[in-house]
Amino acid sequence: MLVSIVFIPIGVVSLFASRDVVEIIDQYETECVPQNFRNDKVSFIQSNANKTCTRRLTVTKLMKKPIYVYYQLDNFYQNHRRYVKSRSDSQLKDNSGWDEVSSCKPEDMSNGQPIVPCGLIAWSLFNDTYNFSLNNQQLAVNKKGISWKSDRDRKFGRNVFPRNFQNGTLIGGKSLDPTVPLSKQEDLIVWMRTAALPTFRKLYGKIEWDLQPNEVIHVTLENNYNTYSFSGKKKLVLSTTSWLGGKNDFLGIAYLTVGGLCFFLALSFTVVYLVKPRRLGDPSYLSWNRNPGGH
Amino acid sequence: MEFFKCTIGGEIYGTGMTEIERGVAERKGIKAQEVQTSTNPVREKGFNFDDVRLMRGAWRNEPNPDACKEFFRCLAICHTVLPEGDESPEKIKYQAASPDEAALVLAAKHFGFFFYRRTPTMIYVRESHVERMGKIQDVSYEILNVLEFNSTRKRQSVVCRYPDGRLVLYCKGADTVIYERLVGGSDEIKKVTREHLEQFGSAGLRTLCLAYKDLSPDVYESWNEKFIQAKSSLRDREKKLDEVAELIEKDLILIGATAIEDKLQEGVPDCIETLSRAGIKIWVLTGDKMETAINIAYACNLLNNDMKQFTISSETDAIREVEERGDQVEIARFMKEEVKRQLRKCLDEAQQYFNTVSGPKLALIIDGKCLMYALDPSLRIMLLNLSLNCSSVVCCRVSPLQKAQVTSLVKKGARKITLSIGDGANDVSMIQAAHIGVGISGLEGMQAVMASDFAIAQFRFLKDLLLVHGRWSYIRLCKVVTYFFYKNLTFTLTQFWFTFNTGFSGQRFYDDWFQSLYNVIFTALPVIIVGLFDKDVSSSLSKRYPELYKEGIKNIFFKWRVVAIWAFFAVYQSLVFYYFVTDSSSTSQGSSGKMFGLWDVSTMAFTCVVVTVNLRLLMICNSITRWHYISVGGSILAWFVFIFLYSGIMTSYDRQENIFGVIYVLMSTFYFYVTLLLVPVAALLGDFLFLGVQRWFFPYDYQIVQEIHKDEADDNGRTGLLGTDNHLTPDEARSYALSQLPREISKHTGFAFDSPGYESFFASQLGIYAPQKAWDVARRASMRSKPKPKPTKMN
Repeated sequence: MLVSIVFIPIGVVSLFASRDVVEIIDQYETECVPQNFRNDKVSFIQSNANKTCTRRLTVTKLMKKPIYVYYQLDNFYQNHRRYVKSRSDSQLKDNSGWDEVSSCKPEDMSNGQPIVPCGLIAWSLFNDTYNFSLNNQQLAVNKKGISWKSDRDRKFGRNVFPRNFQNGTLIGGKSLDPTVPLSKQEDLIVWMRTAALPTFRKLYGKIEWDLQPNEVIHVTLENNYNTYSFSGKKKLVLSTTSWLGGKNDFLGIAYLTVGGLCFFLALSFTVVYLVKPRRLGDPSYLSWNRNPGGH
Repeated sequence: MEFFKCTIGGEIYGTGMTEIERGVAERKGIKAQEVQTSTNPVREKGFNFDDVRLMRGAWRNEPNPDACKEFFRCLAICHTVLPEGDESPEKIKYQAASPDEAALVLAAKHFGFFFYRRTPTMIYVRESHVERMGKIQDVSYEILNVLEFNSTRKRQSVVCRYPDGRLVLYCKGADTVIYERLVGGSDEIKKVTREHLEQFGSAGLRTLCLAYKDLSPDVYESWNEKFIQAKSSLRDREKKLDEVAELIEKDLILIGATAIEDKLQEGVPDCIETLSRAGIKIWVLTGDKMETAINIAYACNLLNNDMKQFTISSETDAIREVEERGDQVEIARFMKEEVKRQLRKCLDEAQQYFNTVSGPKLALIIDGKCLMYALDPSLRIMLLNLSLNCSSVVCCRVSPLQKAQVTSLVKKGARKITLSIGDGANDVSMIQAAHIGVGISGLEGMQAVMASDFAIAQFRFLKDLLLVHGRWSYIRLCKVVTYFFYKNLTFTLTQFWFTFNTGFSGQRFYDDWFQSLYNVIFTALPVIIVGLFDKDVSSSLSKRYPELYKEGIKNIFFKWRVVAIWAFFAVYQSLVFYYFVTDSSSTSQGSSGKMFGLWDVSTMAFTCVVVTVNLRLLMICNSITRWHYISVGGSILAWFVFIFLYSGIMTSYDRQENIFGVIYVLMSTFYFYVTLLLVPVAALLGDFLFLGVQRWFFPYDYQIVQEIHKDEADDNGRTGLLGTDNHLTPDEARSYALSQLPREISKHTGFAFDSPGYESFFASQLGIYAPQKAWDVARRASMRSKPKPKPTKMN
């Protein structure tokens, strides 16, 4: 009963919080492949063809700033055992560890030189880009502060610069500007906090602009990232947040369910108590009293 | 061995209550007080008798003082005791082959017939109050013949001549043999005395009948000639002596009977009674002879007159006849046939009783010789079947090896848990054969203790050992084992579900250190506390409700069903942990729009697991002390302290996928707290529901007992105070004690004239060395202590 009293309000509040969140999801991995390449998307993505693609997103409800831009990948096993390991934290942290790449195989060396940042995670850095425009006016995407502060300050060094990155024969993903220290390469920092599940979202940037209902946003995106070889989906997500986070009814529903269940249980125990009372400590319930002489 | 009661001329004397009577009275709910009628009771080892009507010459005022006089004289004369030491009542010591005899002579001393000197032909007795009150005179009786005790005769007689020339034969022996040889008439006294004998017998006392006979000189002389002839014969002397004795031991006049308490250790009957209520079957395996064993069994409440007793004894006429022929092969064959026949007969009968709804309880009494044949592989099954149908089994005259054989018969044949308890060196093999061996450390040396798993000081502590500590330890063990099973299953299954989402690559859900320290720190201490301190009911209650022990015998707390329920909830909880935590992390957490990574999610899940598993422990505790709170709180706290330190420090030794800063990330979001509140509650909801339904609709016995006594404080050792409100006055208690004694005709009268070393004792007096049998030595040794019910065994 107590649980239900506590839980139902929390459930309601979190449900409301979740409902307040406005979310626009656009799945684009198929649409952004030209018609004639639809049968062989992999060869398209590996070719040098122009991969620019335009999407139109209609705002359903008022979206207050900041609006967060995410990309959501599907069927991408960032939690694969060998993938998770394939990085060198000491290398990322400080310049002095630049050649500590033993854990990064096979992406440890290129042309006989250590790669910074090494490893599969960095190599596969997501490289689709999004440009937003509203009424032909560019919407700035703020890419500052999209990573957790602890990562930015402590795990990625200010004096570590990309070196020898994406120089090999196989290009996994985005290249990095060798003049910008890793602690400023927030896309990389976000990417390298590997996701727990094969379906995951990662923060791309923030739009500091209120969007009115029924406004149409034009997205010009570079569809560079190859998810086609493992038939993964790509989605662009625009979302506001509440105090609880993104649009997620799960917590609210779970709270309501548990609270309701407790309420129901409390009621039914009360009913049971009234309908079929068992006197507490009734000796006749003792097993040896119930069937006397039974051995 | 203490002289306890007697009946003289149809009047019962002695006011004490035996332990078994007290036990019966207590079970009926009456607290009997120790009766003290005399202001100054005489107490001495071997004499625990008190009745003002007999002491200090008061017997002269009784209805039949002559019978009393004969009774006391018989006690003082008809024995084979040697006095030792100073010839004063205070300092004299009696040396007897059997402590029973010594007790009888000692009793005579206290009644004023002080036997103080023996010569080969004379017995000197200092008699008080015989002719008139206060007069003391030394009387010497000439001992003409001694007809010794042996196990077939079951009696002993002395022919003596008074100083005035009167010739008397005093005889004492088992009631059966004495009653056969009584003179006709005076049926009233015989009947009353027999009733008294039954009372004594069912009270666990050993009885002896006393009788006398006046002889005329002519009769005596003619008999004496035959006696001397028999005594000097070279062949079959024993047999001839017995025959001659028969000639004179007839037409006896019954005087009365004595009752000697074979004192068990304190609390033994009560303990055995409690243990059998707890569903423990008790077997007595003893080296004592059958009568003694039966007596002890009576005294221990193992046998009573309502039971149907099957006796398989080698002391039957048919067997004796074959034995006399002396052909060993023939004896063995015949014995085996006989045992087989008897076993089959008993088994048939037992089946018959077993099929009737409320048949009497059954008891099996078997002696060592028969057991030797009954343990033969071909008969073993039959023996086992029979004995498992019996509620108590007494094996007497068994050798140490047979004790072990019987134990392993039950252990292997019946697949029951066996416990052997004993105190002597001859119990060692049995103690080692049983699942659990308990040694009693006592006067019989330390061999039993050294061979045992548990050593206790007194038999009655077995009750505490089994019902309190054994039961607690069972419950604790079950809880700890099932809980360990549960907590690891829950934990591991979350990892298992994760595997499905990692492309089966074997990526760990949790950080290495989480996994390593989960069992070592985060969930270790509380379960240890439960394993040490948990008790469902207090020690006094577990003794008060011995039936609670049956839960252990039926293995209620560690059945497959119990484990399956735990496993089921472990699966349920792990699903809750995994899916609640991961599914709810598909969108951003917190208003900053940032996403959790793998280690954030797993740390959150791990936090939920640690909190839930520790809280679940509190749900299985029956008693929650502050140690529980400290350990559970401490474990959860330990987790947080650990994660704060661990994720706050980054060293060069870290592995690649480290969880640096994770907890700070987590704790900066509301999401974490909301989840942390939801998940444990949701996970424990199932268990809560199950426990609630179970407790309300299908309560365990211990839960009922808890409810009955929920308002009482933990009352260790204070139950004694609770039962003191219905005191009886001494007279009431006495009459109650008498009324409790069975009135119906009973078969058991408690004869046991116990002196295995008789013959050899006399032989040694005459300078002849006769090797004593091993059990004689053991008996002597045990006489110094309080004889105990020998090894009992339970399954």
